[in-house]
Amino acid sequence: MDAGHQAASVSYRDVTKRYPGQTEPAINHLTLDVPAGEICVLVGPSGCGKTTAMRMANRTVEITEGDVLIGDTSVRNRDPTELRREMGYVIQQTGLFPHKTIADNIATVPNLLGWDNDRTQKRVRELFDVIGLDAELGGRFPSQLSGGQQQRIGVARALAADPPVMLMDEPFGAIDPINRERLQNEFLRLQAEIQKTVLFVTHDIDEAIKMGDRVAILKQGGHLVQYATPAELLMAPADDFVEDFVGADRALKRLALMRVRDINLWEAPLAYVGQPTAEVRAKLEGAEVPHALVVDSERRPIGWLSDADLRGDLVPQKPDTSPEPILDVDDVMRDALADLLQTETQYAPVMDAQGRIAGVLSVEIISEFLVSPEAKVEEHAAVERPVERPLGE
Amino acid sequence: MTALIAQLAPVLGQVEIHNRTGPNAPCQAQNKAFCFDWAVDNFDRYTTPLLNHVLIVLVCVAIGFAAAFGMALISHGRRWLIPTFTGTTGVLYTIPSLAFIFLLLPITGLGTTTAIIVLSVYTLQIIYRNIVAGLANVPPESKDAGRGMGMTDRQLLWRVELPLALPEIIAGLRIATVSTVAIASLMVFANVNTLGEPLYQQISFKTNVVIAGGLMILMAIAFDALLLLAQRLLAPWRRPSMEALA
Repeated sequence: MDAGHQAASVSYRDVTKRYPGQTEPAINHLTLDVPAGEICVLVGPSGCGKTTAMRMANRTVEITEGDVLIGDTSVRNRDPTELRREMGYVIQQTGLFPHKTIADNIATVPNLLGWDNDRTQKRVRELFDVIGLDAELGGRFPSQLSGGQQQRIGVARALAADPPVMLMDEPFGAIDPINRERLQNEFLRLQAEIQKTVLFVTHDIDEAIKMGDRVAILKQGGHLVQYATPAELLMAPADDFVEDFVGADRALKRLALMRVRDINLWEAPLAYVGQPTAEVRAKLEGAEVPHALVVDSERRPIGWLSDADLRGDLVPQKPDTSPEPILDVDDVMRDALADLLQTETQYAPVMDAQGRIAGVLSVEIISEFLVSPEAKVEEHAAVERPVERPLGE
Repeated sequence: MTALIAQLAPVLGQVEIHNRTGPNAPCQAQNKAFCFDWAVDNFDRYTTPLLNHVLIVLVCVAIGFAAAFGMALISHGRRWLIPTFTGTTGVLYTIPSLAFIFLLLPITGLGTTTAIIVLSVYTLQIIYRNIVAGLANVPPESKDAGRGMGMTDRQLLWRVELPLALPEIIAGLRIATVSTVAIASLMVFANVNTLGEPLYQQISFKTNVVIAGGLMILMAIAFDALLLLAQRLLAPWRRPSMEALA
């Protein structure tokens, strides 16, 4: 990356937007602090003012009252065009210039800033790497690219001058679900590396929960109803509006934010091949899991002992029941539950990073977890972003 | 038509109807569709009108474009002006050519100035409307992106809006040019020696009509082709082959 700009915090200070001729303000006393390097998602139903709120940051919408600070500087004291050149700008329909080649599109802001040609060309090549597209595409026109490619170029163009702040207005809204998921993951990976401060507008609560370090829920009339981390939002909706908006399946959505290791697993009664079954039966008494898991000498699961197996003298080499599904501590909880439901089993062994048994996950643990208030606190502490692998892995 | 010209001639005062061709050649006598020998012998009489015609079309479309472009720039940021401009140029466009020449008689008299005014004014409507339509059809997201990335209004206009409006602007120029080629022939009544001059001199002599008319048609086709080529070169992103690739 070019000698980059440090990400800057963005602060809305009691911001109000009134359009002439309208009695109700579009944004009503919005106060919001986005720490540097975080993604803040503005979400809400249409007409809630989320795009208006975002646009006041780069003054494509003028502020009526209040102020927006980028770092310590009020946007009101800045020349709008200079201000905008320091902020990446990505919009839903990509807004790529149809008459310019891909390379020229990416070079838009460097050209406005008057960079010399060598520097611009170098930066454009760099950005093709960053977004994982072939630099050969540089000579093409936007209409010759797929929607997903166009949106990646849109992101590259926004990043061209390495801005400290990015504004993204429903950037993946017009992309089909499969590609949207891919673009979201790519962007999160990229963000882990570039650490921009991002204002991200969407109407899709699932996208908000996935993309946001923090989520601001707005409702009609530009009222900020809740500003919280995704986990807090799902766990403790501020009011009925938020509860409604995050949806009846918010319990399940929370599972998407967690990994198996974030929950207290049950201890598996382990049985080794050739061990006397009497020992195993003794172990099973009072155990949380009523079945014994047969493991090999390296503590890798072979299968579950059935009642018939237990009636023999020694633990057999091939137990009756397969150990599938075998989960990983890094699996997303929602996927783990899906595995359990799909294989129609109650229990699944969970492996740690070294491939050894870490415990057992059961449908019961998950359902208890979802209703217990203590667990909610734990979840809050343990919550993690679903994607955090570095780019290019 | 000859009768009309004969009637007009005293009014205009300066149009002479002269017959330079002797009626001896048999082809001419029979007034066949096309007398090749006559054409070869007499082609030089079309050279000056042809060059005048080309020149006056170029000058008038250029003036018309400059004026329409200026009007479009003025009304770009002041949308309320658009109906006024469209209305005015529209009314001017409805004035019949001969009437227009007569209207200008007391001011500019007969001659090139009058012809240029009439022809330029006729192009305004077509070119202005196409520029305005072209600017209006620029995708809003392109404008939004340009502004959001920090383009000034002027940069947005010259780097985004006008290039994207270019195909429509050139389409307007094509229509204006072709119609100017046609109307320029009438400028014989303003005493300008365009291809209209030989045409109306011997309107009943078929070979003459074919040559004068044919030259105008070829001229129109040539201008049209050149402008189309210009559009292809200036707006490569709109090439059909590109769309097929996409």
